[in-house]
Amino acid sequence: MDELELLKKDWKKDKTEYKNYSDSDIQPMLHKKSSSIVKTLFYISIAELVFWILVNVIPFFLSSGYKERMDQSYHSPIFVGLTALSIIVIFGFVYLLYKSHKAISTTDNAKKLMESILRTRKVVKYYVAFNLIMIFISIPVSLYLEFNNNNVFHDQVEAFNSKEMLILYLFTILLGGVFLLVFWLFYKLIYGILLKRLNRNYQELKKFEV
Amino acid sequence: MNKELEHSFVEQLQKHQNIVHKVCRLYTNNADAHNDLFQEITIQLWRAYPKFRGEAKFSTWMYRVGLNTAITLYRKSKRRISTQEFDAVEFKIKAEEYDDTEEQQLKLLYQAVHQLNDIEKALVFLYLEDKDYREISATLGITEVNARVKMNRVKKKLRTILNP
Repeated sequence: MDELELLKKDWKKDKTEYKNYSDSDIQPMLHKKSSSIVKTLFYISIAELVFWILVNVIPFFLSSGYKERMDQSYHSPIFVGLTALSIIVIFGFVYLLYKSHKAISTTDNAKKLMESILRTRKVVKYYVAFNLIMIFISIPVSLYLEFNNNNVFHDQVEAFNSKEMLILYLFTILLGGVFLLVFWLFYKLIYGILLKRLNRNYQELKKFEV
Repeated sequence: MNKELEHSFVEQLQKHQNIVHKVCRLYTNNADAHNDLFQEITIQLWRAYPKFRGEAKFSTWMYRVGLNTAITLYRKSKRRISTQEFDAVEFKIKAEEYDDTEEQQLKLLYQAVHQLNDIEKALVFLYLEDKDYREISATLGITEVNARVKMNRVKKKLRTILNP
């Protein structure tokens, strides 16, 4: 006999070996907090949005010297352009995040539901990537602005010999690289743990498309 | 959400709670985890309920939300005993106590099903609930042909687990 048929026979008996919840047991359950990954993903996304806004804004309030220099930087079209771009991206990100979260529906089929969740995760991923690229670009850009506006720094760099210049270049690249690596590892860890099971199940369903 | 909606939802869930229990039975292996998953499925059902317009039967709709929660949304709680430990116990039982009585065979079958992955369990669940391949494919988002192929592989895998 087919193994599953035997199982089905038993399954159908409908023996109640589970606790039979009454209406008054079920009712409070409706108002408990969910621990679903969609909710966690949503909180992480909000935390990321706030984090990157703070990274950009906090130095402005903490140091008056920084504020002055920032004010000066706004004379540079590159800087104004990058700032405007950041603001547009933040609004774009909030919109896309809202839209992708709305699209997650538990009544879709399993594959579609997984795709919606992964799409939301991708929106966050692109936002993070954008911020990392901005950091990577802003390090040489701020050095360049500093070079033009700060006479002391200008004279120092002018006096560099070729070896010292090379060290400055290497240092800039290295700093950017370390930033990227640390963030990349951090995100791999957060999403790796959170979405491991989902990714595995999604791959399992996808295997059948080929 | 209004009281009336809540009342009708609780009433229907109470009536069909066995479906949720059965999903929990396949996807968890201890009472704490069972209750945890039951709770999460209930929350997800309740959230989706305002969109439930009675196009499908309440029970059919429950299958989908229940399975989606178990496969995709649910994060295992820390209380849960790891599957590794559980599997080790299963193998021991299998080697030592195998006999042909139906009860024993059933016990082994349930244990074998627990060793399947999440998607395979979903297939078994829908099969045990007498769902046809059209419904299985619509629930999981794969084609009917693939659902059939996958089901055959699951049967084969179960056989291999039972008779290594």
